[in-house]
Amino acid sequence: MTKKKDLAIFLLLVVLCVVVTALNPRFLSPANVQNTARLIGAFGIFSLGLGLVIITGGIDLSVGSSFALLGVILSIMLTEWHLPWPVAVLVIVVFAALVGLVHGLLITRLRLQPFVVTLCGLLVYRGLARFIADDETKGFGDAAGFRTLQHLMTGSLFGVPTPFVAMALIGAVMWVVLHRSVYGRHLFATGRNETAARFSGIDVRRVIVSTYVILGVLTGISAIFFAFYTNSISPSSHGSFFELYGIAAAVLGGCSLRGGEGSIVGILLGTTLLQVLQNLVNLLGIPSSLNFAVMGGVILVGVVGDQLLQRRAAHVSS
Amino acid sequence: MRLKSAVGITCAAVLVLAGCNRKASSTHALAFVTNNASDFWTIARKGTEKADAERNDITVEFRLGDGSAAGQKRIVEDLLAKGVDGIAISPVDPANQTAMLDDAAQRTLVFTHDSDAPASKRECYVGTDNVAAGRQAGDLIKSVLPNGGKIMLFVGQIDARNAQERLQGIKETIAGTKIEILDVRTDDTDRVRAKANVAETLVAHPDVAALVGLWSYNGPAILNAVRDANKIGQVPIITFDEEDETLSGVKSGAIAGTVVQQPFEFGYQAMTLMAKVLAGDRSGIPSTRQVFIPTRVLRQNDVDEFRKKLIELRGR
Repeated sequence: MTKKKDLAIFLLLVVLCVVVTALNPRFLSPANVQNTARLIGAFGIFSLGLGLVIITGGIDLSVGSSFALLGVILSIMLTEWHLPWPVAVLVIVVFAALVGLVHGLLITRLRLQPFVVTLCGLLVYRGLARFIADDETKGFGDAAGFRTLQHLMTGSLFGVPTPFVAMALIGAVMWVVLHRSVYGRHLFATGRNETAARFSGIDVRRVIVSTYVILGVLTGISAIFFAFYTNSISPSSHGSFFELYGIAAAVLGGCSLRGGEGSIVGILLGTTLLQVLQNLVNLLGIPSSLNFAVMGGVILVGVVGDQLLQRRAAHVSS
Repeated sequence: MRLKSAVGITCAAVLVLAGCNRKASSTHALAFVTNNASDFWTIARKGTEKADAERNDITVEFRLGDGSAAGQKRIVEDLLAKGVDGIAISPVDPANQTAMLDDAAQRTLVFTHDSDAPASKRECYVGTDNVAAGRQAGDLIKSVLPNGGKIMLFVGQIDARNAQERLQGIKETIAGTKIEILDVRTDDTDRVRAKANVAETLVAHPDVAALVGLWSYNGPAILNAVRDANKIGQVPIITFDEEDETLSGVKSGAIAGTVVQQPFEFGYQAMTLMAKVLAGDRSGIPSTRQVFIPTRVLRQNDVDEFRKKLIELRGR
């Protein structure tokens, strides 16, 4: 079933690309493919983590605010404290992982709902980001002292933008973890039926906590890519609503918000589709104001089509 | 009994503290209310402090808004309850805050600054003329494109009043020339989208002759996207405001020029004018009830001097 879903969204993506290329051949120009791949990479990395959380039946609304907080901290560590960049990067990733751990523990030990825990996170991290930055825009200036990091984050490897390379590597590892390991099977089992999974001997709490930690790590990595993409972080707006892009990508890619369903390939295809949609708005000269309407419309078409396919499949098999 | 004396002592203390707050019996308490918290207002604050220090007939209270109309209403009600003699405010949503401003205007002297609410009963507006600022940007565009060409504009939200007025100023100036506005792309203040919009414009319109950013962060967004596309120097950039990266861009020549406002003067002139009005001198209020603080165009040679002044004003 999952494979069929992946195929369906892949076909949707191909059709879209063919149509856009027919309308504006510059869609396939190297510059445009590179630009879009860069954004797909940065959005794809955290979407993978968010997808994992969604597969266990959870949700995280705090990702966008975390980007602001992590970005502000990164800028302060690099430009004000002049820490060596590998240390700064490590601090960001570890800190983000710890935030994920706290989310996971609050959800599993105190039995709080993920929506509530991460909604509080959304508010708290945004507020902290603004407080720490004193409501001023933080930036990297000319990156004196950490040019290597800047090149790494904004550069390309054999013409492929580094965020995309990172996403491909992380995606490959995640594919093995989710689809070819015992842990992955536990993850799906937990999402499908938590009680049944617990009775069959799976440490459900540990599985759930681990997904939030993985999401934390991936959020940390994405945060660094986004920070260097904009080269400045305005704490009140940086990353605002980005968690919704991740959730939309996961849903579009076949994840069910009820848990238990989804695939790595689907999430990556979903992310790609969302970025291509935003790209075509500019390329085809569609008014910017329609951007969100186009995105929402295509997601709706995607999930409606998915629902109809499933019903037909259920009908055929019965 | 104990409770009563505690209440009594508290009241006495409050009265004493409140009394200490007055410079003299003829001193007027003024308040300067912003729309949100940003670098811009740090500079305006210095202007209000200068007015406060210069004149012994006013005390100035500086209040930062939280970006919402509800937040401003709370601040204004608080100030009215304290009995301030004048409020200068930058309304977040002028069209829908008219009632609040009118209500305040019945009880105290009300000025608007930064963003005007002409439909309200405010006494006067002190701030930027965004149409004029747009015209200055239009002149910059004309100077880099003497033979005309297609230009693309970028902004957060095009329905915002200052965006509309700046656009109007640009359109007025380039009317009759061979300069053509392709479109205005919006990003809802998302800097990632702001930069992607520019990158995608460079792909979709290889013949684009100039890029114009209407809001402060559009400057760095355009600069970074053009740099990534290796087109620095090929596509002229015109921006507004003075973000650090924008100033660096003007200094290096990558940005042809930026139009900057003078928030220090908003603070200084609003407070000074209010003090005069309260003292009975209304000569400073023009018949249009709008005092425009002119915007400045910064080009390559102006950056060093401007930066020096900015660091002084920001106090860092």
